[in-house]
Parts: sequence; C-alpha cells; structure tokens
Amino acid sequence: MRKFLLTLTLVLMAGPAFAADYQTGLGPMPLDDETKASIAGRGQATATSDGKTLSVKGDFHGLPSNATEAHIFLSPAMGVPGKKVLDLDVTKATSGTISGAFKLNSAQAAALRTGRLYIQINSENAPEEAPWGPKGTLWGWLFPAHETVGQDVPQQGHWFIPQLDTPSR
Amino acid sequence: MRKKNLLLLGAGACAVLAALGSAALSQTPGPFTQDQAEAGRQAFAANCAACHQADLSGTNDAPQLAGSAFIGAWKTRTTQALFNKIAKTMPAGAPGSLDEATYTSITAFILRANGATPGSSAFMPTSSVNIGSIADGKTPSGFSLTPPAGAARPAAGQAATGRRIDPGRFVLPTKFGLTLKGDIKNYVPVTDEMLRNPPDGDWLMFRRNYAGWSYSPLTQINTSNVNQLELKWMWSMPENGTMEITPMVHNGIIYVWGTGNTIQALDGKTGNLLWENRIGPAPRNPGPGPSTEETRALGLWGNILIVNTPYGMLYGLDARTGEEIWKNNIVDYKPGIGGSTGGVIVIHGKVLVGMTNCGKPKTDDHCYISAYDAQTGKRDWKFVTVALKGDPGGDSWGDLPDNERKGAETWIAGTYDPDLNTTYWGVAQAKPWRRDLRGSKEGDTNYANSTLALDPDTGKMKWFFQHGPGESLDLDEVYERVLINHGDQKTLMTIGKAGILWKLDRVTGKFIAAKETVFQNIWKSIDPKTGRPEYRKDIVEQKVDQWLSSCPGPEGGHDWQATSYHQPTDTLIIPLSQSCVFMLGNGAQTYWEMPGTDGNMGRLSAYRTADMKPLWSFQQRAPFLTGVVSTAGNVAFIGDFDRVFRAVDVTNGRTLWKTRLGTTVQGYPVSFSVDGKQYIAVTTGLGGGSPELKPGTMLSEVHRPPNGYALFVFGLPDDK
Repeated sequence: MRKFLLTLTLVLMAGPAFAADYQTGLGPMPLDDETKASIAGRGQATATSDGKTLSVKGDFHGLPSNATEAHIFLSPAMGVPGKKVLDLDVTKATSGTISGAFKLNSAQAAALRTGRLYIQINSENAPEEAPWGPKGTLWGWLFPAHETVGQDVPQQGHWFIPQLDTPSR
Repeated sequence: MRKKNLLLLGAGACAVLAALGSAALSQTPGPFTQDQAEAGRQAFAANCAACHQADLSGTNDAPQLAGSAFIGAWKTRTTQALFNKIAKTMPAGAPGSLDEATYTSITAFILRANGATPGSSAFMPTSSVNIGSIADGKTPSGFSLTPPAGAARPAAGQAATGRRIDPGRFVLPTKFGLTLKGDIKNYVPVTDEMLRNPPDGDWLMFRRNYAGWSYSPLTQINTSNVNQLELKWMWSMPENGTMEITPMVHNGIIYVWGTGNTIQALDGKTGNLLWENRIGPAPRNPGPGPSTEETRALGLWGNILIVNTPYGMLYGLDARTGEEIWKNNIVDYKPGIGGSTGGVIVIHGKVLVGMTNCGKPKTDDHCYISAYDAQTGKRDWKFVTVALKGDPGGDSWGDLPDNERKGAETWIAGTYDPDLNTTYWGVAQAKPWRRDLRGSKEGDTNYANSTLALDPDTGKMKWFFQHGPGESLDLDEVYERVLINHGDQKTLMTIGKAGILWKLDRVTGKFIAAKETVFQNIWKSIDPKTGRPEYRKDIVEQKVDQWLSSCPGPEGGHDWQATSYHQPTDTLIIPLSQSCVFMLGNGAQTYWEMPGTDGNMGRLSAYRTADMKPLWSFQQRAPFLTGVVSTAGNVAFIGDFDRVFRAVDVTNGRTLWKTRLGTTVQGYPVSFSVDGKQYIAVTTGLGGGSPELKPGTMLSEVHRPPNGYALFVFGLPDDK
C-alpha cells in the first residue's frame, strides 16, 4: 500500500509535466537600428507532448522576406541561444505556418519541461553576421501553457513569469 | 636548465612575433585619409562626444569607441560594417540625420583613434577592410582625440556639423540669465518640519516625502470621478537635450527644470510664468540628448530653490524672484568631469547630492555623495562611493589600485528616515561595467550596486548592502529606496534593472526578502538567508569577444521610472520593462523581446509589501516612461513611450481614464492642490538613456514627434 501511494504520488507529480501543453509567442530575433528592417514579424506556436512525441504547430506573418527554414533549438538556459536539434516544416513565404512532430530523447524532453526549447524561423534577408543562428528572424521559447490576456487587461493575483512558473529540473 | 632555456626561447619568439605583428599592423594603411580623420575629429566632437565622451571613453548607454573594449568587439568585423552601424543608428535619437561625408569622416576618426594609419584612399561607404588588420585599439601618440578649443561646439543657434536641420527645430537657446525676475509676495519659507510632514497640497521633494512614497494624500480626484479629468493648462518647455523632471510644488507655485538648466516658476492654477532663470549652458547637441544632460528633481529649503545641474554646478536661487543667491561646483577633479542628474534631498538644512559620469579613468577622481549648506552652498562633507583600500569592503576590488576603482555613481536622489537620522542611497555599478574589462576579477566591488545608509549630518556610513556583487552586465541597482514600516519592522524596498524587488531591514541593512518581478536569467539563485545572488556560469566566465545574452537588458526590468507606495493599501506599484540584450563586449548590443511577454515591453505591477504578494499586473506594447504617483483617491497615474497618460485603480489595475499627449510622456508626475482644487501634473519629453533608446529601436511601429517638451496640468471640471 505504501509503495502504491508512493508510485501514485510520483505519477501525479510527473503527470502534468508530460501532459502539459506548451505555447510561445514568436517575436523578432535580436536587432538594432541597422538590422531591424530585415528582422521583423510576429507569430505564435503551441506544442503538445505525450511524453514520447512532441507536436508543434504555429503561424507567422509580417516577415520582411520569405521564410527559408524553421527549427527547434535547445538552449542551455531560458533566453540563451543554443543548438539546433529538430527541423520544422515552414511555409516559404512572408507569412504562413510551421509544424512538425518528433520523438524526443530524454535531454530534449527535459529541456521542453524546463523552458529551454525554442522555435526559430529564418528568412532570406536576415543578416548573416549574428552568431546565434543563420538568418534568424523570429524566435520564441516554449513555456507551459498559461493564461494570456490582451494589452491593458490587468491580471489579478498571479501572472506568468517564466522562471517562476516553469519547472527548474 | 634545458627547460628554462626552452621557455626563454619560447618567450623570445613570442616577443619577436608580437613585434612583427605590431609592425605589420602599423605598416598597413587604413582605407581613409588624414584629412578625413581630422574632419572626423571635429564631427565626432560636435555630434557624438556628448554621449561617447570627447576621449571616446564612453559612458552609461554609449560604448567606449577606442581601446580594448572597442577592438574586442570590432576586430573581426569590417570597416564597412562599422560605417553602416554608425550611419544607420547614430546619432542616438536621430539616426541617419547626418550627411554621408560626415559619417565617413567619423568612421575614419574612430579607426585612427584605434591605431589605424591613414592612407591615400578616401574612405567610402563600401570600403571594407577587416578592422583587426589595421587597428589595435591603441591611440597613436601625438594624435589628439579632441579638436582645438572652440572648434567642436556649434555656435548657439547653429546646427552641428553636417546635420540636416529642419527649420524651426533643434535650435539651441541663445539667451541666458534671469530673463524674467519674479516678485512672489505670498511665498512661505519651507521649513524642516514641512519637509518631514509635507502640506497635503505640496510636492516639496523628488518622491514627495522623505520615505520616497510618491503618494499624495489628496482625495478630490478619485476612482469615481477620475474619468472626468480635463486639461487645465499646458506649458511648452525648452526643446533639445533630455528631460525627465519632477515638477516641484509649494503653496500653489510650480518650479520646474527645463533643458539647458532653464528654471521656471509657474502659477499652478493658471500656468502663468512668474519668473525664469536660464542658467545654461545649452545642451551639447541640438536634438534629444543623453541621460547625462538632465536633472530629475529640485530642492526647496527656506526661501531657496536648489538646482543641481548635469555639469556639476549646484545653485541656490531665490524661490521668490529666480535670482541666484549662491553657486558651487560639486566636482573636485575637474569641472566638466562628472555632474549630477539625480536631483537632491535637503536634510537639516544640508543639500545632499549624488554624481553621474564621474570617476575619470586613470585618475584619482572618484564618484561621491556630498552635502552643502543650503544657505550658503558651502560643502560640508563628501562620501566616496567606491571602497578604497583600508575602507570597509576595500578588499573587494581584487588587486586594483585605488585609482582604478571607478563607477558607483549615485544618479537617483536618496531618501531619509528622520527617526533613525539615516539617509539611504542607491549606488550604480562599477566601471567598466564588465568584470573582464574591469580587472576586479571575482571581487564584489563595494559599494557598487549597493544600498548605502549614511548619517546625513556627517556623511559617515552606517551600513551597506550589496544587491549585485561583481556586477557585469550594466544592470544598475541605483533606484529609489522606499521606506516602509510593517508594525515595528522598519524596512527599505528597492528594485533595480535585474527586476528583483528587495526588502531590507533599514536599521541594520540585513536582507529580508527578494521577489522576481519579470523574467530574468542572469542570476541562477538568490540565497534566501543572505540575499546574495549567484550568476549564470557564462556571465562569470564572459569574454570580451563573445556574445552574451542578458534578460533583462540595460533597459532594465526596472529603471528610473520610479515606483509609488500607496500607503492605505500597502501596495507598491512598479513600472517594469520587458526586453533583453545580446552584447558583444562593451562594443555592440542588439535587443529583443523578453521571453513570455508576447512583445509587450511595458508592464505595470503591484505588490503588497508586507508579504511581497503579487496583487495585479498588466502589460502593453509600449514601455512606461514616467514614475508612478498614487493618491488617497485610490488612483495612480503613469505615462508611456507612445504618448499615453493614464489613471488606474490602485486596487485592481484597471484603467479608469487615459489621454494622449504630444510626445513621449516622460518624467515624474505629481499631484498638488491650489485653493482647494486638486491637480495632476506631468511632463512630456525626449532624450535620456536606455528606457528611451531601446524601445526607440524595437518599436518600429511607434512614431513620435521629435519635439514637444511640455508640462501638462489636469483637473476636474470647475463645477465638480
């Protein structure tokens, strides 16, 4: 009985992490006054995971030039660029969709759970010089699904802050 | 023996190779001419030096443009990339406003200042040579970085070299002095008791009371009628430069600072000008200026209005007439090196003032807080804000000699607890702000990024608490110290660029609690007992030629846009910004939206201070560019980058009223009353540091007029 309760507790603790949906807003990669003309646009994506596979779908618009490729990257820490690990299908246009389904290895699954996977869309005219990825245009970190509200709408009591609302391990 | 010989041989070979490399470098001419470099020196002084400094040493938001920091960031990039960077992004606030010849000459000058030798070919926008192959970051001996005296500055009213001028815009003032003498007969001298317990209708100091609350006890404007607010009057203010001022109000008279140190007294009810003293000098450049060319608050004591200026002068003006009573230069090292932008606080007849842009490299100049007799302007004491050898914390700078311990500016005025007779000041980061350039190794660099508790009568330090030991990302912890009592517990609360809301015991300086208010990835953890943070590993190991990610970036999670403490509900209302940075050394930065924000750079959040519980929060695309003022009518006011000025319900954050003004709503709004009627005053303005510059780059869809500095006063309809 005690072993059963322990197992049940572990399942309940682990359950939400594997069953959770994830979401991100896609915004411009790092830019300055020199590069902002070619790095622009916006998008969104959601992801579901059953613990074995990850399914991603999303859309984007407003790119200054056609999208060329899209990937999922694994970063060493939230908000820190990392390595490309998965390829997404992307519409080769200034607006369109992204999608993909993958089997995750344990490192990737852990990164998803802890907010260290991000989506990046590249485009034709984005600058080459940046070291964080070729032709990067839009990116966004996948975080556990959370309530989002429009601009100027106050949230009462609690609002999503990535490092506080994402498991640390 | 043989091993020693091999080592010597190896060392000798390295020296020869280094010498050969140096010789090869000096013999490779740069793609520019001597004439271009000379012309660029003058153009740089006229257009760039106000931010980057005449010796290219950089300051705050403007990176160093000569030396190891520059070469570390640019050695692998091309001259064409440097030209494009300058031509497309500079001058700050007016990118692309110079002609091509001026940009090419400035590029040539910067290359020359970093050791490149002139050649026979003129620099063109397409000239592309690897900078590391022609420059080593060492300014050639005999090459002066500054033009001959008098050659750099455009005559008053004239355009800077090469700038394309729109008629009627960006014109510097030409007339200085007491342009309108006042005769305010009903003036009531400001007493120590008034400063301790300000009259309800007054706003006598930066954050209204000694505790730094920015809270008005006035109740006439409240949640039920704030939607009826209307403009009562508006006053256009001097253009150019930077303005983030707090209007001061005493007995119905508004005292306000404008750019060029233009001080004006206005009738709070009618907006009539009562006196004007254009102290000068004019801003160094026409157009919006850097954060080092402003002040944030004036001071009042007796019959004297105290004015601190960004160039280090401190004035006592007659609050009734505008006439100068006394003046003093707060700068010990050299006039013009260091100034004061954070406003003042007056305690026991002493004017306490901090410093900005101080601590000249390679000198014995340091930043300090100093105190002056409000009656005469004479200095009483000064406290150096870096720990020198032998001081408490003096061993926290590694092996660095005292002359290399720089930074620790105090660019926001302090607060004061009369019962403890202690004044509290935030201190900014050490300089250079990157630890790999600073040479302080793993040292904490006291008292940078700390809270300082000082005796206002003597300047003696009572305690310090360091929020960001060994800071390395240009993330200041310098902002307002808010003093709040919870029963018998006397606390101090503050929040810095990292977005951590800190609570300290203000009697002892002991850490009580910390709360993360925005996404941050610079600190892995904060010790729950001591409050000491642990940096991310790659920040500790940063290298000058490697890109580094920081959330928040230099715009800050929180910056100079100060909080308000709504005392009746124990609510601290905090303007926050949500952007991140990639930085390459101290030479290049790119910006991006903070993860999890959906592109909303502005956030206004409220926390209950007793237990740090989050109460409400909303976000929007444009960041907020004013401090907050809350009132006993349970409303709070704040303005933003995209010209919106609004009132929110302090209990739930809902917007109850908003209007749109001429340009960015920037400064510190206040509430006051005249003849029993309550008003709200706020300024619009431009220029300034990261909170203005970063959204200027990132919010491409926001278009603001490049002028429109003004004071707006709102009130209820007269029949209400």
